[in-house]
Amino acid sequence: MRATQWMVPIGLGVLVAAAAVRPAAGADLTGVQAPDFVLKSLSGANLRLSEYRGEVVMLSFWASWCGECRAQLRGLATLYARYHDAGADLLTVNLDRTRREAKETAGSLHIAYPVLLDTEGKVGALYRVDSMPVLILIDRDGVVRKVFAGYRRGTEEQYLESVRDLLRQ
Amino acid sequence: MANGGVVRRKVTVQWIAAALLLAMSWRIALAQDANAKPAFATPASQSKGKSFKSLDEGVQDLKKQAVDLNRDLFLLEEQLLFPANTQVAVFVSMDVGRYFALDSVQLKLDDKNVTNYLYTKREVDALDKGGVQRLYVGNLKAGKHELVAVFTGKGPESRDYKRGASLVFDKGIGPKYIELSITDRQKKLQPEFVVKEWE
Repeated sequence: MRATQWMVPIGLGVLVAAAAVRPAAGADLTGVQAPDFVLKSLSGANLRLSEYRGEVVMLSFWASWCGECRAQLRGLATLYARYHDAGADLLTVNLDRTRREAKETAGSLHIAYPVLLDTEGKVGALYRVDSMPVLILIDRDGVVRKVFAGYRRGTEEQYLESVRDLLRQ
Repeated sequence: MANGGVVRRKVTVQWIAAALLLAMSWRIALAQDANAKPAFATPASQSKGKSFKSLDEGVQDLKKQAVDLNRDLFLLEEQLLFPANTQVAVFVSMDVGRYFALDSVQLKLDDKNVTNYLYTKREVDALDKGGVQRLYVGNLKAGKHELVAVFTGKGPESRDYKRGASLVFDKGIGPKYIELSITDRQKKLQPEFVVKEWE
């Protein structure tokens, strides 16, 4: 009886520990050259990551069904507007299955930066995105410097600090 | 008594004079020392500058060696992965491009999809300016093979445009180079897609 009483809390503890130990999406990419890709954007233009070499790139993975992604995108839009002229670029990769879903969400958020369509999820797999939203910061040499998995109110401060750091280098 | 006072005063003045002399000689010695310092400091700063210079040269040398090594490795890798007797390389070129805005090229060799390349504006501009892109390099055994290239983009009047071009070629013992050429056909106001072999 006593043993069964302890099993539930122990099981929960193991689960929590496993979740804490599990590496964040794309975390093992930190310090390596960002994998290059080319995707069609919502505007119709094809964009290649390596063509942004020399600029600090904020690469965000999102989907229309993800509520936190919308909040994150709003925060990133402010950062982009503020630091674009200083050499920071924002590329957002939409992982919805269809173009229509991405277009509707982008329209409702009045997005003014490139939205890349990864309907087949190839780039998401390349960056090992297994949760959303994920923000990857890439420095001027094309190296992944920071990976932020998930989003909470106040995370923008960390984004801001990291982007400023990268712009200063 | 009065004489003793005068003598004592004289002694005091002598002591003061001696102290002043000492102080002056000390100042002079210090000044000389200060003047002398740069004479010793200059060679030190020069040597520091030299060491920085040699360090910089060393770094530059290392960088050059790394670039050379990278190039050699690339050539070696290419030689090993795509030996000349089986190598097939496909290039893309564009002449004028007024009637066609290139978006992507899909390449098939013997009915097998080998590459699907999306072009960015910068890449199209480079092709437009006379650049030639190596789209694909791979291996094929000797014999007859078929290459099919499917071009997509915007045609005349910005309409969606998709065209295919094919070539049946004989792969001999040497490397095979094939060019996919996009040109404007002025008479028909249409783009033209040609696949040709390099001799």
